[in-house]
Amino acid sequence: MTSTIEHSTVSAPALGGGIYRRLNFGTALIAGVVFAVIAWWVAHSLLDSDGRGFSDQVMVITAVGWVVGFELGIGAFTSIGKWFTGRDQTHADEMYLAGKDAGQARYWRFTTDHKVVGVQYIVVTMILLGAGGLLAMGIRTNLLSPGNHFVNQQIYNSFLSVHGMLMILALIVAVAGPWANFVVPIMVGARDMAFPRLNALSLWTLVAAIPLLLGSLAVGGNDMGWVTQAPISNQSGVGFDLFAMAIITFTVSTTVAGVNTICTVLTMRTKGMTLERLPIFVWASSIAAALGLYAFPFFLVVMSLNISDRMNGTSFFIASEGGTGWLQENLFWLMGHPEVYVILLPAVGALLEITTVFARKPLFSYRTSIAGMAGLAGLSVLVWAHHMFTTGWAPALGGPFMVTTEMISIPTGIIFLVLLGTLWRGNIWMRLPMYWVFGFISNFIVGGITGIYLSDIPVDNQMHGTMFVVAHFHYVFVGSVLFGAIGALCFWYPKVTGRFLDERMGKISFWLVFIGTNVTFLAMFVSGLRGMPRRYSSYSLIFEHMNTVSTIGAYVIMAGMLVLLGAVISSWNKGEPSGPNPWGSKTLEWLVPTPVPLENFEVLPVITEDPYTYGEARTNS
Amino acid sequence: MTSEKTTTSRAIVTIGILWVLLTAAGVLVSIYATPWLMPDSASNTMHMGILTMIIFSVAAAPVAALVYAVVLYALAKWRYTGEGIPPDGPSLRANSPLTMVWIIGSTALTLFLLVWGLSLLASDNSGQGGANEMTVNVTGQQWLWSFQYPSTASTQNGTPVSVSNEDLYLPVNTPIKFNVTSKDVDHGFWIVQMGIKINAIPDTITTTEVTPNKLGDYDIRCTEICGLNHSYMTTKVHVLTEKAFSNWLAAQPKHF
Repeated sequence: MTSTIEHSTVSAPALGGGIYRRLNFGTALIAGVVFAVIAWWVAHSLLDSDGRGFSDQVMVITAVGWVVGFELGIGAFTSIGKWFTGRDQTHADEMYLAGKDAGQARYWRFTTDHKVVGVQYIVVTMILLGAGGLLAMGIRTNLLSPGNHFVNQQIYNSFLSVHGMLMILALIVAVAGPWANFVVPIMVGARDMAFPRLNALSLWTLVAAIPLLLGSLAVGGNDMGWVTQAPISNQSGVGFDLFAMAIITFTVSTTVAGVNTICTVLTMRTKGMTLERLPIFVWASSIAAALGLYAFPFFLVVMSLNISDRMNGTSFFIASEGGTGWLQENLFWLMGHPEVYVILLPAVGALLEITTVFARKPLFSYRTSIAGMAGLAGLSVLVWAHHMFTTGWAPALGGPFMVTTEMISIPTGIIFLVLLGTLWRGNIWMRLPMYWVFGFISNFIVGGITGIYLSDIPVDNQMHGTMFVVAHFHYVFVGSVLFGAIGALCFWYPKVTGRFLDERMGKISFWLVFIGTNVTFLAMFVSGLRGMPRRYSSYSLIFEHMNTVSTIGAYVIMAGMLVLLGAVISSWNKGEPSGPNPWGSKTLEWLVPTPVPLENFEVLPVITEDPYTYGEARTNS
Repeated sequence: MTSEKTTTSRAIVTIGILWVLLTAAGVLVSIYATPWLMPDSASNTMHMGILTMIIFSVAAAPVAALVYAVVLYALAKWRYTGEGIPPDGPSLRANSPLTMVWIIGSTALTLFLLVWGLSLLASDNSGQGGANEMTVNVTGQQWLWSFQYPSTASTQNGTPVSVSNEDLYLPVNTPIKFNVTSKDVDHGFWIVQMGIKINAIPDTITTTEVTPNKLGDYDIRCTEICGLNHSYMTTKVHVLTEKAFSNWLAAQPKHF
């Protein structure tokens, strides 16, 4: 069978085309600041009864001004504005938006090409991880010895809250942001996402949220913990308002991104790409996106009610006025536990993808692994109250929530079965991505098992609110999710850049991060077992040794992450060239040229088998 | 075919031996390290908590050991040492009996842990109670604890008064019921060596119960972030003999 391909030349977009062709990150910053100042001035004049200039109302309205201005300045609303005024987008407009022939400039503006958005997400993730990591170093430095020698308690508490929230945001987007955007459309055989403009919107809305979160530190911080528990959240200064507005903005970004991923997978698959032939990473990303659509509305609601209690005098969470703090905790954890799996599943999907390629084996038990991931997602919406065992809320529900929580170990076990089954008798190629897979397995078994202790109420009565919990979820978030995210970066880096990530620096970084993670958080388990509560800025002398060990371990992680950052930057233009498919993978993203052309495929492929045919005789070719 | 079978069975035997050794090591560490790492127990609740930690660790040891055994064997024996992309491995797409065994095994283990945990929870909830139960009212505020003994309540000049103190004194072997509240924001009331913890919440009363079974001084630490001096919101529990406790209680001044 032969087919001819008509090559036609599309002329470069005509210059001109109105002011919106001159919008970029710079104009967005300017418009954001201008709108924020105007919003502040209006709110200050109308609402600021005490005249300090920074009441809760003024702060919230200023934040809204910033976000609206930023979105206008980046051009997020230009297309819909043109449609509204009756002028349709021309082909040249669409090509401009997709960043055709725009070179480096397309990375600095509202570009709809999913690969550009993927790269933008890589950079945003690194900024979030870097800022959160610096705050972690601040926390650990203060805990090096008792007595608050580094920062005072208020700054320490703000560091805790903003570190927690930055890292949660970073990990939510760490795999899903770069790779559900860059590779999922290619994996399913699509030319772009289902809604390319929404894709760019989700990225730039996330970018708009970051200055709010960091800005909260500048105006006194949220010194009341990242879980924003009421009623103490009402004691925090205006830093809390920016903190909450950052989260509200972020939930918009995530919802838009999640809808887009699901629609892309459901509607944009190429001919023959049945659901059963989808790469496992596509399944993982879709399940995580669907779970996010359930979870993040709770996040938006709980932050909105919290702000309302502060600025409108409502009393949703104030017991003396008819509300209850338990409502805040329920809403928060209705989001908070599914969110763990929104974070975890894409990382697991990426690692499974890496394992099949580097063990040269089909994915072991494809259907079971989908069932495992769906099981994790399903159970994760039924376990939220295990965060509340010691709050005194509904003691009669303790048993049921203990049952659902411990059942999570069954689908988790399936993930391990699939990983081990895929490794079984493989020809394991120990290149850089595979290091992170083995690191993940080792860390995730620790993170998983310690979770089972905490699900047991008599044990949780002792361990809740201690460093044991902190160590447990850092084994999951750092030891498992971050390892998955870095593994995914090492794996797909050659597809993005056409070059390998420096193997030697990458391995140095792996060993530093792996050893650092285990030193830091094993010592933290010991602190917790011995009775050190979490969120303490200072502690009794009996905890000093283990805290010093944790701090040294944290510095080692930081060193490893800096080596990785160095490798990512230095290999971007100077790394060893890789060619289009350096790993010999069979998923579609490796079968298109590198760099991937705009719209990915000259001719959309027709799929006849799944991408895991390692060791199988081809029936036709 | 034969050589493939021999390699597979050799792998299974080696992994089996590795599994047994690692499990044994895990069980030993669970039994000896867990109680050594945890605080001394001053109540049966804490004792059962430590025992549960040990049992869960022992139950988890074979699971972790199996994963590590397979991973170590894979790294040692299945690592490709040649140049370039390795040749394909065998096409093992599924193994339904193994998958079923794995799922049934993990479900059985989970059920065992659940039965243990739920029965312990039930015995906890059946209440130490009894006729000689003593009530202590616990109040948290930024950033100290106070403990009030309602059994000493009386009136002076028409004002209700009772004994209250910033250290907690308790009689040994007496079931205690704590009614916990807060004056400002949420705090976490935790007696470290007794294994009980409950939030102190403004305008709300939460309860927890424990029977101290060992004389001595123990620690109370706040476990819910409560502002600036959260890390300094600690105090002591003094468990006395019943006689020493009544003497102490009688000697205390009463206030509003």
